[in-house]
Amino acid sequence: MERKHRFYFAGVAAIFGMMLAVGFRTTLHPEGRDTRDIWELRADLTKEQKLEQRLLEELESYEETLRRYRREHEAGGATELEATVAKLREEAGLTEVRGSGLVLTIAPLSAAGYVGPAVATVSPELLQRLVNELNKYGAKEIAIDGERLTNRTAIRDVNGATKVGSRSVRLPVEVRAIADDADKLYSGLAVSPIRDDFAVENLELSISKPQPLVVIPPAASRPDVKYMETENGGKEEK
Amino acid sequence: MWLPLLGLLLGFAIGVLAGWEVPDEYSHYLSIAILAAFDTLIGGWRAYLQRTYDETVFITGFFFNIVLAATLTFLGVHLGVDLYLAAVFAFGVRLFQNIAIIRRLWLAEWAKRRYNREKS
Repeated sequence: MERKHRFYFAGVAAIFGMMLAVGFRTTLHPEGRDTRDIWELRADLTKEQKLEQRLLEELESYEETLRRYRREHEAGGATELEATVAKLREEAGLTEVRGSGLVLTIAPLSAAGYVGPAVATVSPELLQRLVNELNKYGAKEIAIDGERLTNRTAIRDVNGATKVGSRSVRLPVEVRAIADDADKLYSGLAVSPIRDDFAVENLELSISKPQPLVVIPPAASRPDVKYMETENGGKEEK
Repeated sequence: MWLPLLGLLLGFAIGVLAGWEVPDEYSHYLSIAILAAFDTLIGGWRAYLQRTYDETVFITGFFFNIVLAATLTFLGVHLGVDLYLAAVFAFGVRLFQNIAIIRRLWLAEWAKRRYNREKS
């Protein structure tokens, strides 16, 4: 290439480089400015410190469990392991739970003068909303129509029938909830607009006074473990 | 060989240091223009390797392609058809072809050198 040609080529390449740089600057926006004031920063700092504290506690408890495992392993016992399994079963909702809580009943609206269509079922969206409200006010364990809600329980519509887990729900539906503080749950629900939401769908949600003993049954089906295997390579027994 | 690369780096540095930014709504045009410019640049390189380089063709092609691509995008936006895809497709295909040709020319060159070395 002649010298002159090279210069032209270099000039065009420079223009291209400039375009590229501008393109990069345009597409890769700088991160948004931090506009938090000192109080927000303090609040965030406290939040993070609490998180750190919680994580450290969790870590400590796991380390403690590990130490006990080691000790037991040396002694040849397995009670600690059994205790862990029992705890995990409890967390997975495979055990019956008793405690103070509320019993809620969903029934067709029986207001005098009601002339709308008869309602046979409650929509899954409404149930999910109710579950969210219950969780919001501190419910620990929930059962709908005798079906224990776990992390894997689906509330869905199957051909017009509402199903909670594998059970079809028909009116009236009884919802049981256990909470550490049943009074708080009760007052939370009392002020929540959830009853209006039910009324819009021609349903009535009645909430019992806090009861000292509410029994929540274990989950009917054992969670299906698909992607975990025991260490010796065999599938987990079902 | 080094001069164009130097020019590219220089242009890039100027672009970064100048701190220019295109408003978001025009970033599409810029992207298409960059693609067109890249295609022309690679085309020019290929022509140089094939000894068919013509400066007038190269420089007019550079600017004309950029303007054409931006115009197509503009038209597309106003007609509601994604016309810029036509530019992306055309430039994209040509880019691949040109790079493939450059690679083959390099390979041929390399093979020739090796042959000569073995012979001597």
